Amino acid sequence: MKKRSQWPKLVLLFVAMALVAAACGGDDDAGAGGDTTTTAAAAPAATTTATTEAAPATTMAPEPTTTTAVEMQPCVASIGFIGPITGPVAFIGEVQLNWMQYAVDVFNEELSIDISIVEGDNQFDTAQSATLAAQFVDNADMVAAVGPAGSDNVDAAGAVFEDLDSDFSFVSPSSTRVGIAATYTGMFRTVPTDAEQGPTTADYMIAQGASKVFLIDDQSSYSTGLADSTTAALEAGGVEVVTESVSQDVTDFSALVSTIPDDADFVYLPWQVAANGQIFANQMAEQGKTIRIFGSDGMDSEDFTAAGSLVATFAPDIAGVAGSADLLAGFLAEYESTNTFGPPVFVAAQVIIEATYRVCMTGATPDRASVQAEIRNTDLADSILGSPVSFTSDGDLAGGQFFISEIQEDGTKKIAG
Amino acid sequence: MEFFLQQTVNGLTLGSVYALLALGYSMVYGILKLLNFAHGEVYMFGAFAGYGVLTVLGGASAPLVPIWLMILLMFLAAIVVSSTIGVTLERFAYRPLRNSTRIAPLISAVGASFFLQAAALLLFTANSRTYDAPKLIAIQTGIPIGPIRVWMVRVLVIVTSFTLMILLTLWVNRTRTGKAVRAVSYDREAAAMMGIDVDKVIVVTFLIGSALAGVGGVMVGLVFGRVFHLMGFVAGLKAFTAAVVGGIGSIPGAMFGGLLIGFAEAYTTGYLSSTFQNLIVFGLLIVVLLVRPRGLFGRQELVKV
Repeated sequence: MKKRSQWPKLVLLFVAMALVAAACGGDDDAGAGGDTTTTAAAAPAATTTATTEAAPATTMAPEPTTTTAVEMQPCVASIGFIGPITGPVAFIGEVQLNWMQYAVDVFNEELSIDISIVEGDNQFDTAQSATLAAQFVDNADMVAAVGPAGSDNVDAAGAVFEDLDSDFSFVSPSSTRVGIAATYTGMFRTVPTDAEQGPTTADYMIAQGASKVFLIDDQSSYSTGLADSTTAALEAGGVEVVTESVSQDVTDFSALVSTIPDDADFVYLPWQVAANGQIFANQMAEQGKTIRIFGSDGMDSEDFTAAGSLVATFAPDIAGVAGSADLLAGFLAEYESTNTFGPPVFVAAQVIIEATYRVCMTGATPDRASVQAEIRNTDLADSILGSPVSFTSDGDLAGGQFFISEIQEDGTKKIAG
Repeated sequence: MEFFLQQTVNGLTLGSVYALLALGYSMVYGILKLLNFAHGEVYMFGAFAGYGVLTVLGGASAPLVPIWLMILLMFLAAIVVSSTIGVTLERFAYRPLRNSTRIAPLISAVGASFFLQAAALLLFTANSRTYDAPKLIAIQTGIPIGPIRVWMVRVLVIVTSFTLMILLTLWVNRTRTGKAVRAVSYDREAAAMMGIDVDKVIVVTFLIGSALAGVGGVMVGLVFGRVFHLMGFVAGLKAFTAAVVGGIGSIPGAMFGGLLIGFAEAYTTGYLSSTFQNLIVFGLLIVVLLVRPRGLFGRQELVKV
């Protein structure tokens, strides 16, 4: 009898291993590892998450002991989270959700309060953001929310919040479009605006002696807005700006790379998909182009590691903030990795939780109006970002600033300006 | 001249991948008159299979086997995964609807596309992966062509694509199964009456078309780097356009259409602006459909009256 070949079985086994490896292999995006709580990919419905983990002590929370004579009621409330937990930029949402969870764990323990999270996965989709906003307003236990990420989604959710309940506060940890906070009564943000990023970027290039910059936007409102403000600042400084535009749905930029003028001093990429920035850098190297790449805050990720390149960041690398070392270590012990999008979420959650706590301290039951009033009064002398936090009358971060980092040979970043 | 040469190489690389993908659309349409909208996702799974092998074998930074073997295994894994998915789709999503209305398998194909996208999201998450091919084959390696140097990975992609296209042409024209495929594509009922196992021919067609898509997926991973669960959509759309421009159902048409779209994209970006890239590509589609509705290589349908 003819012996059956074992090859088909071996091949199938190998392929199965390959797919498992692809699923388990390291992500490009600086996504969070660890035990994230997740929601169904396509479900706009919010999911309540119980907070369980004990957290390391932090010195940034207000002292739970107080001199007030009012007897404090049990401080119980829920706060929402709107972010892209799944979808094209899930690497942002996952890290943000982890930091949100971490902040709640930390402050629940520090302040002996009972804050729970209601997760909302907007998949970076404006329609989902609007749906989630309506759901959140409908949730009587919810006092405020963190998010959304991205100005388009803030617009979508903000309009619903404003329309249904302007007392509902939402603190965005990554929306940078100029003027958006002034549009919505309940909006606050813990990151600076593009009004700072564009000029900061342009000033740096001008200081480096740039006379020509090749700018490529990614056809999103984030990118074109930032491109406009940077172009204006560069041209005001006498720099010639050559503009191009490319969708982030593609991964072949080689034809575009060929058009980069040899006399350009910088290639400016205000993009949101950092992995595409790395592909762009590789394709530049392939064609022998050595012009320095300057990425916006969207490129500030472990995915973009082209040595010598620069990126703008709306928050510093907190590994360099001495006062944040314990918090960062506690976070990494639980979630393994982080990126720039995470710590501003911690601050956003902190702002809401402490506002809620202050309301509780008066003996009142926290509601949306009282929490919003307390958020306006926020005045943190220090934060995990290494800087104070308070808000302008519009809800923008007071005194916010961008940083310029240079990527080193080993992939780490060093503040350059 | 240097600029023109560079854009030609860029267009040739991209066009080669589009051509491989377009072949799958065209072959399936040729025998079933079905637009397999899930073909882009089959290509995406091929790219992930290649990434999986890369990871299992130590990654681009520390490969455990010789690089040529690593790449060969990546291609093989992609072929097995993609062709398995392709054949499974045919068996469960299309075959039950073969004698249904024309629109039913089309809707099924759209559904299969979304199903595979969601499956990839659950399996691989939304985070993109990078082959990191420059660590596997240094960017400095390449073949000088006049004033430019073509990276070895691009050479590999172009040579592999053209080799596969030639082999496919020979297979279709010279082998018994290839002739059966052509016969089914001309007239399925007549082919069945002549003793050809139509089901088997259809399965073989899906298998080969999907295998080519899998190879395309690994090529894209190698040359452009990033693989993610939505990568099949745009590539599939462009390849479908290429198949229609070339004449859907025509194998040489799919090859020519793929290359044409690749060159159109590269030259548009180079000489006009990348903003106009899609405008030109889809404008080309409209012009071809207006002037020659059956595509550049499509054959005239004869209808008995």
